[in-house]
Amino acid sequence: MRLTLPEGRARASLLMAAPWLFFLALILLWELVCRAFALPEYVLPAPSAIVEAFFKVEMSRWFTHLWATLKVALMGFAASILVAIPVAIAMMRSELLSRTLYPLLVVIQSTPVVAVAPLIIVLMGSDDPSRVLITCLLTFFPLVVSTATGINETPEELVELSRSLDAPLRRETWQIRIPYAIPHIFSGLRVAITLAIIGAVVAEFVAAEEGLGYFIQFSTSFFRIPQAFAGLFFLAVVSLLLFKSVQWSQQLFFPWSLPRKGSH
Amino acid sequence: MYKGLAHSFLLAVTLAGGLISQSVLAADQVTYQLDWLPGGDKSPVYVGVQEGFFADEGLEVSIASGRGSTDAITKIATGQADIGSADIGALMAAKAQDGSLPVKAVYSIFNQAPHAFFTLAKNDISEMTDMEGKKVATSPFTSSNAFLPLVLKENGMAEDAVQLTKADPGALGPMLMNGSTDAIIAWVTNIALFADQAKATGNELVVLPWSDAGLELYSSSLVASERFLNERPDVARRFIRAFDKSLKFTSENPRKAAEALHSMVPEVDVDVATAQIGDTMELVMNDVSQRDGVGALTKERVALTWDWVSQAEKLSDDALDPETVIDRTLLKAL
Repeated sequence: MRLTLPEGRARASLLMAAPWLFFLALILLWELVCRAFALPEYVLPAPSAIVEAFFKVEMSRWFTHLWATLKVALMGFAASILVAIPVAIAMMRSELLSRTLYPLLVVIQSTPVVAVAPLIIVLMGSDDPSRVLITCLLTFFPLVVSTATGINETPEELVELSRSLDAPLRRETWQIRIPYAIPHIFSGLRVAITLAIIGAVVAEFVAAEEGLGYFIQFSTSFFRIPQAFAGLFFLAVVSLLLFKSVQWSQQLFFPWSLPRKGSH
Repeated sequence: MYKGLAHSFLLAVTLAGGLISQSVLAADQVTYQLDWLPGGDKSPVYVGVQEGFFADEGLEVSIASGRGSTDAITKIATGQADIGSADIGALMAAKAQDGSLPVKAVYSIFNQAPHAFFTLAKNDISEMTDMEGKKVATSPFTSSNAFLPLVLKENGMAEDAVQLTKADPGALGPMLMNGSTDAIIAWVTNIALFADQAKATGNELVVLPWSDAGLELYSSSLVASERFLNERPDVARRFIRAFDKSLKFTSENPRKAAEALHSMVPEVDVDVATAQIGDTMELVMNDVSQRDGVGALTKERVALTWDWVSQAEKLSDDALDPETVIDRTLLKAL
């Protein structure tokens, strides 16, 4: 480590700025391509046209749609946590259960939700519960897998130690296995939260009266492509923020579970 | 003393207000199912809500958007909605496959086929026979596709006389404008939208409606669940009265209708919706409606519709008695 402090700072700020600069360059290139080739809006709208379309829609409408999507995504996300973690723990405790449930989980995961969604809507109606179920179906599998992996990766010595001290299974689970699984659970949560948004949008494509996915579908049905793109970007930003907030909550509540600084 | 009076006055007003909202609460609830997303062509039901036609009949109507005729029919059959709009051809095809389907057509909205070829003036296509050998793009799930071979045959061409490609509905306009297809199949209710796109690229839109080329049938209709018709016949009668009024109001006041739609679905642009209503009303108010009346479902035209639908869906002619999908009691109540 020969780097002196100012260089270190410069390096740090370069690292900070790099993704933003890259993003900005991409947007500029996009704008230039659209203008240079005079691409019609309905083929590929320029970023400036998308920004304009974004502000043409009233803010209150954006928030109505945002809230509708967010509500479903977060409820689905919460439901999948409530289902996935107990299932993972139960599967760790009982081999029979693990053998019974695992194939079913894989079947659920490999069934395309897009194909099942219309059936769920017909069975359960076109209200929030069916949308939450659709979201939950998409999000809970990565959570089960990551939690189960984490629980299984607890060092054997620790488990043996706790058993030699006659610790009950409950304490072994909560004080040794779960804490070891936290980093894995959080990597599962990060995947799940982005899937939750996708799940909510899939559900809105099938049946909804509001929501960002509905808004995008609606905009294309009127050939308002810049407006659809604006909805898409809004969705991406929301998804990114949710992803980040999972990271932040890990930093806040489980700082010890984070990889040490310096490693990637 | 005065304060006391003022208080009792306020109390009386509150009580009266309470009674009024009670009577609003007591209005009969009806769920209306659209067969697609809200748009100018779907505006009559929004007009009914906004202009108070439903409220006048003591109805409180909620509107749910749909994703195609089959989706709407399924939701009405399963009781998620009471009544709604769907293609009568889709209902006939569904009923031919499952005779127990508890849904009936009660009122025709479009008495003409909405399907058409859309092309550009520079492509030199001015009549059906010019389509021979041309590239045509269509969306994969539209009901129009089933009628294409029949329309071609009706005009003396082979069933495969055009080169057909399938693409997402949103991609059809761009494909036509940039020349990757000679024509597209779309509904005449969207003429204004495509005409705008054509104008933006310095082109002129040409529309060849299939109704001019021999396709004579009912399409979008009001369909209701048998449960709604049997268990709440009085509500159904009041609904149809208000809907009929709304449809006529929409035809006479397209801009007001578009505004009613916009106030319930703010994403809909009033100008675009007004233009859509103009195009749509050609399918509602025309020679057929002058002859038979608005909303009518005549025996002859129902039979004609089944004739086309059975051929298009490759069903045998006796797979269905088309009269079994029709219930004219509401029409008689008008």
